[in-house]
Amino acid sequence: MTNSKENPTTPKLMVDLKEQMNPSFDVMLIPLQLEDEVAFLLYLKTAVDGDKLQSIIIKPFFEMKSAQHYGAYIQSSPDLLAIKSEDNIPLELTKGSVLIAVQQNFFLIDVKKVNTSTVQQTLMEPTVYGPQQALSEDILTNLNIIRHRYKEPTLKIEILELKDKTHNDIAIIYDEQTVKPAILKTIQKRIKELDTTLIQSAGELQLYLNGKRFTLFPTLMLTERPDRICYNLDAGKVILMIDGSPHALIAPVVFFDFMVSMEDNYHLFWVTSFTLVLRYFGLITCLTLPALYVAITSYNPDIFRTELALTVAGSRIGVPYPSFIEVLFMLVFMELLTEASIRLPKAISATATTVGGLILGTAATEAALTSNIMIIIVSAVAISSFVIPINEMSFSIRFCRYILLAFTTFFGTVGFILGFLGILMFLINKESFGEPYLKMYWKSRRSEKGVKSE
Amino acid sequence: MKHRFKNYKVIVVAAMYFSCVFVLAGCGFKDIDKRVFVTGIGIDPAEKEEGGYKVTLKLSLPVASIKSSTGPNYEYLVYEGETLAEAIRILETHTDKILEFGHTKIIVINEELLQENMKDFMDYFVRRSDIQLIAWVAAAKTSAESILRVEPSAESAVSSTLVNFFGSNGTESPFITSTFLYEFRRDMLSDGVDAVLPLVEATEDKKELIVNKSLVVKEKSKPFELTAEQSKYYNTLLNGMSGFSYKAEKEDLTFVINMEKTTVHYKVIMDDGKPTSIKMNVKMIGVIGQSNKNLALNNLKEYDKIAAEAVKKKITDFLTTVQEKNLDPIGFGLRYRTMMLYDKNTISEWQKAYPDLPFDVSVDVALKGTGAIE
Repeated sequence: MTNSKENPTTPKLMVDLKEQMNPSFDVMLIPLQLEDEVAFLLYLKTAVDGDKLQSIIIKPFFEMKSAQHYGAYIQSSPDLLAIKSEDNIPLELTKGSVLIAVQQNFFLIDVKKVNTSTVQQTLMEPTVYGPQQALSEDILTNLNIIRHRYKEPTLKIEILELKDKTHNDIAIIYDEQTVKPAILKTIQKRIKELDTTLIQSAGELQLYLNGKRFTLFPTLMLTERPDRICYNLDAGKVILMIDGSPHALIAPVVFFDFMVSMEDNYHLFWVTSFTLVLRYFGLITCLTLPALYVAITSYNPDIFRTELALTVAGSRIGVPYPSFIEVLFMLVFMELLTEASIRLPKAISATATTVGGLILGTAATEAALTSNIMIIIVSAVAISSFVIPINEMSFSIRFCRYILLAFTTFFGTVGFILGFLGILMFLINKESFGEPYLKMYWKSRRSEKGVKSE
Repeated sequence: MKHRFKNYKVIVVAAMYFSCVFVLAGCGFKDIDKRVFVTGIGIDPAEKEEGGYKVTLKLSLPVASIKSSTGPNYEYLVYEGETLAEAIRILETHTDKILEFGHTKIIVINEELLQENMKDFMDYFVRRSDIQLIAWVAAAKTSAESILRVEPSAESAVSSTLVNFFGSNGTESPFITSTFLYEFRRDMLSDGVDAVLPLVEATEDKKELIVNKSLVVKEKSKPFELTAEQSKYYNTLLNGMSGFSYKAEKEDLTFVINMEKTTVHYKVIMDDGKPTSIKMNVKMIGVIGQSNKNLALNNLKEYDKIAAEAVKKKITDFLTTVQEKNLDPIGFGLRYRTMMLYDKNTISEWQKAYPDLPFDVSVDVALKGTGAIE
C-alpha cells in the first residue's frame, strides 16, 4: 500500500506520529473513504492482527450509514483504550493498537496479534493426576486461565507496566479476602521501584524483586502450574505474572512450600504422607550424604558396622586421593552430567546420560579412581536431589552440599554438624517479604516470644 | 548489569577457596584405608616377665571384594610389656597403618588374670576413649591368644565369629553369658554383686569355639567356674533368657519342657532392717518338647506341678551352691542396698548375713500344651 492517496485533511497528529516513527517500514497510515465520510487509521503492521483489523475496524466503516455512526461504534468497542496523553500513543502503537481518527476524534483500539498464546504442557512439574496444561507465554491467556479456575469475585488483578525497554505488563493477582495487605503493599512497592533495562522472564523478575544481591535460597517461587497458582491464591499469597513468560511467581514463600508437589492434593492421605516423608528423606540425603561419607571414612570410621567399615576400606584400596577429593571429583562429574542433560537437545541427552552414568561410573571404579561405595553414594545423591519438586530449591540444595562438604573436610564430624547448623540458622534467619522462611508453626508467635498479650 | 559483573569476584573467591580445599586437609584427617581395625584384644600373663602382660591384637584386614574373597583375613600382633598401654604403644610400631580401636568388639582375658589386679588392666580399656564400653568381655581357658587365633571354618569374610556368640546378634542360647565391658566394670566395682564372664574354650584341633560356661569373678579370690547347667540357670534367672529346656521326671514319666518365657521376681525379706530370707518367684510359660509317654491335655495341670517341682529344686541348688562360695552373681546384696537408707555398715551387715540366708523359691509353670496334636 502506498501513501500517494494521502488525503490533505489527514489529522496533523497522525502525520507527526508517522514522521516520529519513520523509517520503520511497517508504519501504516491509511484513510478510509466512502463518499464523504472519512476516517484515518494509524498502526504498525507487524504488531496488529490483520484479520481482526479488517473485520472489526475496516469492514464496519463501509457498512455504517455515516461517520458519526462509525464513531459511536468504535467508541463502544470492548478493546477501546483511553488516550492518557499524546506522548503515550507511540508506545500503545508498538504494543499493537490502532489509532483511529473519526470526525476530529481519536480512538485507540487494541488489536494486537499474539503468536504465543498456545497453552503448553506441564514440563517442569509434571503430575500423574491433576491438570496437564501449564500456562502460555501470553499474559491475557494466562489471566484467562486463572479467572477460569478461580471464579471468585474477590480475585483482583492489577496490571502494572514495567519501566524497562520491554514495557511488559506485570499482573499482580491476589484474593482480596485472604491476602495480607502488608505483603501486598511491599510487593507493589518493590515492583514500582524496579530499575533495570531489560526484564524478559519471570525468573529474572524474581532476581530483581529479591531485594538482595547474593541469594542462595529463592524467596519467590516460580511455577508453571495453574493449579498451584490457585492453591496459593486461596492460601492468601500474591501471584505475579509477566507478559512473555510461561511462569508465574508466588510470593511470599516459605521453605516448606518448595517441598510440596501439587500431586499431594490429589492422592490419599497415607500415600501423600509417605511421599512427603520420602521427599524430606531425599532432601536430607542429597544434602548430607557426600559430607557424611568424608566425615565417616576419614574421621570417624567407628560409626559404621565393622563389616561395612572393612568393605569400605577394601573398596578404597588403591584409590590414590583422599576421600574428599574422590567425593568432589565424582560430584563435579555428576553435576556436569546433570547440566549436560538439561542443556542438550532431548535426542542427544539420553546418550549423554548413558555415556556419563554407565561408562564413566564403571570405568572410574575399574581404574581405581573412586571406590564402589562412592559410586553408590553419588547415584543416591543424584537421584534424591531430583525428588525435590521445585527445581530452584533443588539447585540451592545442590549448592549447599558443597558448603557442608568443605566444612566436613576441614573439621570432621564436628564441622559437619556445625555446617549443618549454620545452614539451618541461615534459613531460620531468612525472610520472604516479611514472612519467616523456616518457621515451624508449632507455637504461636506470642508464646514463642513469651509475651502474654501482643 | 553492573552488579552482575561484581558477582564474578565472589565466584573467583569461591573457586580459590575450593581449590584450597583440594590441597589442604586438617590433621585429624586420616583415610579409612590408612587405618587398620582392631576387632579383638587378648590379654595373657607375660611368659618372660613377672607381672607383665602379653597383648594380642586381632586385626581385620579389609577385603576388596567380599564375593571373591574366600575367608576372613586376619593378622595378629603379639607383644609382651609391663603394662597394657606400653605393649599397645609398641604394637603401633608393628604395622604401617594407624590402629583403630573403634571396632574392638571383644576383649578376651586369660582366666588366670581374673583374680588380682584386675583394676590395673581394666582401667586402660575404660580410659581409652576409642574402645567402646559396649565391647564384650570374655574369659579364656588356657590362653587368650589361642582363643583369638581360632578361625572356625564356618566363618565368612568380614565377620567375627567370636563376637556373634554374644548378645542376640547371632546364636541365642541360655547357656551363653554375655557381658559388656561397662557391665563388667560396674559389677566389679559395686558392692553386693559379683561380675560374671563367659568362659570361652577352643576344641582340641583349634577349629571350633565353645562358649557355655561362665566365671563368677570376685576380686582377691579365685574365680568360680559355673558349669554349663549352672550358667543356664544364671542366665534364666537374671535375664529371663528363652530357650530354656528342662527335663522333669516323676515315677516312669519323663518329659522335657521348652520354656518360651520366664519372668523372675525376687525380694530380700527384712526384719527390723536385717535380712532374714530371700524370696524368689519364678513364672515360666512353655510347651512340652519331648516325652516318653502319650500325654493327655486334661492332665496339663498335673504336668505343670511336676515341672514346677523339678525346676524349683534346680534353682535352689544353684542358688545355694553360689551362696556357699560366698558369691552373689544375681545381685541380692545390691537389691538389699537399694532398699536401705545409706549407712556405712549396710554392706558389712549384708556380708555377715548372706552366707546363712535361706532361699524361698516358688516356681509357677504354665504349660501351653502337650506339644502334640491328640
